[in-house]
Amino acid sequence: MHLPGYYEFCCRVKTISGHSALEKIPGALETLGAKKPMIITDKGVQGAGLIKVLNGAMKGSRVKVGAVYDSVPPDSDIKVVHTLAKLYRDKGCDALIAVGGGSVLDTAKGTNILVSLGGDDLMHYAGAGAVKRKLKPMIAVPTTSGTGSEMTLVAVIADYERNLKLPFVSYFLLPDIAILDPRMTKTLPPAITAFTAMDAMTHAIEAYTCLAKNPLSDSAALIAIQLISQNVLNVIKNPGDMEGRLALANASALGGIAFSNSMVGMVHAIGHATGGACHVPHGVCMSIYLPYGLEYNMHRNGHLTAELLYPLAGARVYQATPRRERAEKAVAIIRRLNQDLHDATNKRHARSLKEVFDRDGKQMVTKDKLPLIAEKATGDASQFYNPEDLDFKDFMFVLEAAYEGVPLDRRKVKKG
Amino acid sequence: MISYNDYPEMKPGKKLVKKIYVWIIMLVFGRAFQAASRVDKGAKAEFDAMPKDFMLDFYVMPNGPHMIVGKDEKGRIRYYGWNPAGKKITLYMGIKHLEAGIKMFTFQESSCTATARDRIEVDGDLPVACGVLRIMDLLEVLLLPKIVAKLGVKRYPKWSQMSPLRKWTSRLLVYVRLTTG
Repeated sequence: MHLPGYYEFCCRVKTISGHSALEKIPGALETLGAKKPMIITDKGVQGAGLIKVLNGAMKGSRVKVGAVYDSVPPDSDIKVVHTLAKLYRDKGCDALIAVGGGSVLDTAKGTNILVSLGGDDLMHYAGAGAVKRKLKPMIAVPTTSGTGSEMTLVAVIADYERNLKLPFVSYFLLPDIAILDPRMTKTLPPAITAFTAMDAMTHAIEAYTCLAKNPLSDSAALIAIQLISQNVLNVIKNPGDMEGRLALANASALGGIAFSNSMVGMVHAIGHATGGACHVPHGVCMSIYLPYGLEYNMHRNGHLTAELLYPLAGARVYQATPRRERAEKAVAIIRRLNQDLHDATNKRHARSLKEVFDRDGKQMVTKDKLPLIAEKATGDASQFYNPEDLDFKDFMFVLEAAYEGVPLDRRKVKKG
Repeated sequence: MISYNDYPEMKPGKKLVKKIYVWIIMLVFGRAFQAASRVDKGAKAEFDAMPKDFMLDFYVMPNGPHMIVGKDEKGRIRYYGWNPAGKKITLYMGIKHLEAGIKMFTFQESSCTATARDRIEVDGDLPVACGVLRIMDLLEVLLLPKIVAKLGVKRYPKWSQMSPLRKWTSRLLVYVRLTTG
C-alpha cells in the first residue's frame, strides 16, 4: 500500500443517502438553524418535475421556500451568481438548497460566498484561500451521478465578459449537507447517466493513481470504482433500477471525496481544456481520455493501474490475470466499458473525439482544434499531480490518438 | 499548592542554520527569477502570461524567510528582496513550515511532490501559482547540475524539449546576471 510521508484529508459534509433521503431536508434545515431556503436549479431539473418531488418531500414542515431560481445555465456564470445573490437578499432567505448537476452546485456555492461575506462582485473572492469564514447553510441535492461537487471544496464559475473561468477553493465551500436520493437521477437520459458515471469513475481512478493519493482517499476511490463498474450498465439498461441509481449516487459522492483530497491528473487537464476550447461536456471528455491517461502514465504507476483491476472486474478476474498483465487488462476493461456504454446508449456515448456531436449533429471537436486544446491543457493545474510530465507535444500526441480512438503508442511516451 | 512559577513560559527554539540556508536559496531563486525573465524565452513567456499587478510573496510559514518577486511599472520582473511590508501582494505561496522548506530546497522532494503532499499553501490566483511552480522547475534545470535537478523536477527535459543551445545560453546568462545583479 502506498503511504505518503505526509498528507492532508478533510471531508466534513454530512451525507444523507437513501430512498427517502429528501424527506430529511426539513429536519436538516432545522439543525442548521434555517427556515427560509432559496432553491437554485436549472430548467432541465425543473422540467423533469424534480422540484415538485422536493416540495412534496418538504410538505407539512415549517420550511417556507423563500425563492426558486430555475435558470442556471449549463456553464455556471458570474452574472447569474450576482442575480441570485440579489434575489436571496431581497427575499430574506437564510439558506440555500442547490438541486442539480455540477453547474448548479457551483453556482450555489458562488452565491453563498456573496450572500455570506457581502459585496456585489464575486471576483473579489476568486482563487484559493479568499473565503476565510463559515458561509450560510447549504444543502446540495445532486441530480447527476458524476461531478461529486456535493463533496468538494471547489467551485468553477465563468466570467464570459473577461473570457475567464474562475476557480474558487476553500474548505468553507463544502456544503453542510449532501442528500443522495435516487429519485433525483431517475429521469436522467441514458447517455448522460453514462458519461456522468464515467466522470465519477475518472475522479476515483485519477485520485488513486496520481501523485497526491493517500490511504483515506484510496478507500473512497476503490469503492467508487467498484460501485460504478457493477452498476452503470444495469442502470442504463433498466432505468427503473433504483438500487443501482443509489449506488451510482454514492459512487459519485465517494469519487468527489477522493479527488477533492488527492486531486486529479492529466485526464482532467486535457478534459478542462477540451471543455474550454470546444464546449464538450466534462463527463464526455473524461470517458474518452481516461484510458489514455492510464496508458500514458503506465511506466510510472502501472502497479497502481494493475490494482484497479480488482474493483473494475472483481476478484475472479483479478486472480486469474497474471500480475504483469493486470494493468493492461484494467485499461482494456475501461475501453470495453466505454464500448458497452456506446452500444447501450444507441451510439450516443462517445469513444473518441471524432464521435462527439452537439444537439444539431455537428462535430464538436475538429482536428484543427487539437493544438488549441493542447495549449490550454499545458496551463492547467491538474497536470501537477500527474505522475509523468507533459508539454505541448505530449498533449498533442495524446489528443491525436484520442481523436481517432486508437490506443496510445506507448513506445513514444517520453520517460523522465 | 502548585505555584504559578512551576509552569514557566516555554519559547520555541530556533533553527538558525536551516533558516539561513532557506533564506540563501530564496535569495538565489529570487534573483534567478529576475534574470531568467530577461534571458530565457520559456520563462519570459510564462511571466508575460501573468497579470500586470503580479506580486508574489513566496515564504516559509509562519515567520519567513520571504522571497518577493513581482512586475514593475514597465511590466518587467523584479526581485524585491525579502520584506513584504508595503508591497501589494497578489499571490501568497507559503511553505507550511521550515522542515518542509528544507525538504524542498535540498531537493529531497520535488516541487510536484511537495505540492501533492500539501506542503504549499496558496492564497491567490491558482493558474498564476502554477506558472510560478513551472518557472521554479525551469530554474532548477538551468541553475543546477543534472544529477541534482533530476531530483527536483518531474521530467528533466531532453534535447528535443529544450535545445542544448537554449539550455547553456540561458544557464550562462542567468548565472552572469545572478552575480552581477
